[in-house]
Amino acid sequence: MPSAENTSMMSSEVGQSVANRNVGRKVELPWLQRYINVAGPLVMIFGLSLVMLIFEPRFFEITNLMIILQDASIFMVLGMAMTLVVTGKGIDLSIGAVAALSALIMAMLIKDAGLNVYLAMIVALLVGTACGVVNGLVITKLRVPDLMATLAMDVIYRGLGLVLAAGTVLARFPEPLPTLGRGHVFGFFPVPAIVGLSALIIGYILYHHTRLGRYAIAIGANREAAQQTGINVDKQKIYLYALMGLCAAIAGILLTGRLNAIQSTAAVGFTLHTIAAVVVGGTVLFGGRGTMFGTLVGVLLLAMVTNSLVILRFQFFWQLVAAGVIIIASISFYTYLQRRNNPDARFDE
Amino acid sequence: MTMKTPVLQMKGVTKSFGGLRALIDVDLELYPDEILAIVGDNGAGKSTLIKVLTGIYQADSGTTELNGQPANIKSRQDSLEVGIATVYQDLGLVDTLSAAPNIFLGDEPKKKILGLPFIDNEKMRRDAEEILHTKVGVALPNPDEPIRDYSGGQRQAVAIARAVRANDIHVLVMDEPTAALGPEETKNTLELIKTVRGRGTPIILISHNLDHVFSVADRVQVMRGGMRAGVVEAAKSNKQEVLGLIVGSELQEAS
Ligand SMILES: Nc1ncnc2c1ncn2[C@@H]1O[C@H](COP(=O)(O)OP(=O)(O)O)[C@@H](O)[C@H]1O
Ligand SMILES: [Mg+2]
Repeated sequence: MPSAENTSMMSSEVGQSVANRNVGRKVELPWLQRYINVAGPLVMIFGLSLVMLIFEPRFFEITNLMIILQDASIFMVLGMAMTLVVTGKGIDLSIGAVAALSALIMAMLIKDAGLNVYLAMIVALLVGTACGVVNGLVITKLRVPDLMATLAMDVIYRGLGLVLAAGTVLARFPEPLPTLGRGHVFGFFPVPAIVGLSALIIGYILYHHTRLGRYAIAIGANREAAQQTGINVDKQKIYLYALMGLCAAIAGILLTGRLNAIQSTAAVGFTLHTIAAVVVGGTVLFGGRGTMFGTLVGVLLLAMVTNSLVILRFQFFWQLVAAGVIIIASISFYTYLQRRNNPDARFDE
Repeated sequence: MTMKTPVLQMKGVTKSFGGLRALIDVDLELYPDEILAIVGDNGAGKSTLIKVLTGIYQADSGTTELNGQPANIKSRQDSLEVGIATVYQDLGLVDTLSAAPNIFLGDEPKKKILGLPFIDNEKMRRDAEEILHTKVGVALPNPDEPIRDYSGGQRQAVAIARAVRANDIHVLVMDEPTAALGPEETKNTLELIKTVRGRGTPIILISHNLDHVFSVADRVQVMRGGMRAGVVEAAKSNKQEVLGLIVGSELQEAS
């Protein structure tokens, strides 16, 4: 049917010329573009699910899925704030120490000073926020680069925790801490996951509907332009680090509740795990771009990997290896996407 | 030359950096509805004159008047407040945001929900479209995409829209807007500049390229060695005459 073929060729040529007239425009759907970055971790989640389906179907039991959700919830809270910090071209390497320090102070107030548990939790939130503000001040006023400043502050906060509690373990806390950390609603859904998911929803609103998120994007993408429009860059950065400190304290509270115990060396792996989840979720380490949904996916992927390795009885250390491999795989995937997306290559397909 | 009163008048502006006299007794007049080009060799004082106007530098002496009223411009913020808007060569845009957030960056419309200040994204988007339409004469085909996906001309339009967003903008200053553009983008941008002038904002255009200058400017002010070497009406002059003023031939020196 030569005539039909002809028609289809012609119509495709028309389509081509329309596409060419819109030079500089993408043809994909906007929502697909926004979430294309999340495709990588979603594919990995799918692949991992297939593997588990073959080797260990118990992975999919509702109890196990809820354990994954519970493990992920702390990193939802941390990941929310880290997404904003990284979008603003910052990074916070002190969050593990801040989580431990604020939780320790709360624990000592409850156990040693007999303070009301709710008041102690509020103190913990204030301590975390204060640590964040100090980070922000060191970065903006003393002009120490974000990476070095928070690395040094990590050592300081960790040191303060050790000074306060030495090696003691504080354990057995009154309600609501245990419920917050490991309780369930409706008999199955983890309470900390409610906290974590709420944090991400609030993070989404902050990102897209408030000046905090808008200015983080502006500062991360073009700091000078942000400054020229009158945005107080230092103030915004301090806000971002304060939010990060607040979320680290919430994470410390959740951790204390989950273990029903806390010590000064707790939460050591939090920092890298959080940054990994955020980056795997498609937030760009060079600033200016990020997604809360991606962070959720990144957090879930890492929690699933950890859980799978445990179920498959791998040694703990393999979890570290796996986390590293996933980070490298995702970043190289994004780099590939970016190269593919650049204007010169756009119509090559 | 004309009986109209200038929107902007700078008189006797002098500025030295240490021993170097960057501006010597420079005058400048900008009339309503015109494009005034400022040309001159490297180091002639173009940028310094503009930086005095926009409050980035303080003149050693000289005055600036807007609509006949003395304007005391001591900072960039002052210049914005009296209605002098600037588009710099690098445009100062945030690539990962779309048009409306760029146009309103730093001055977002707000709405209160439960007493908390949120950005009114819907109003911002509507207002941005309106400003692009009425003041820049442009309808973007893809207003919700990040502007890193825009063409050079579209990016210029966004930068101009941001500069002239406020209602009481008296002067738009553009520093080398075509310097980094290809031929097609340059053509679009020059059209854009004419449109903006046509919509009622007088423009000071700094440029190296005399072809561009003569295709849009109504008058051309030539700077040489920190002084005003001359002002010509584009329609009654040509590139040779302006070139002569730039390099300072004997004939022009006498004037
Ligand atoms: N901040 C400054 N400090 C010292 N000298 C300057 C400064 N800005 C400009 N100049 C000098 O003033 C003169 C005029 O410069 P400029 O206004 O930038 O010229 P143009 O923009 O016409 O190329 C030049 O000799 C330049 O070196
Ligand atoms: Mg210059």
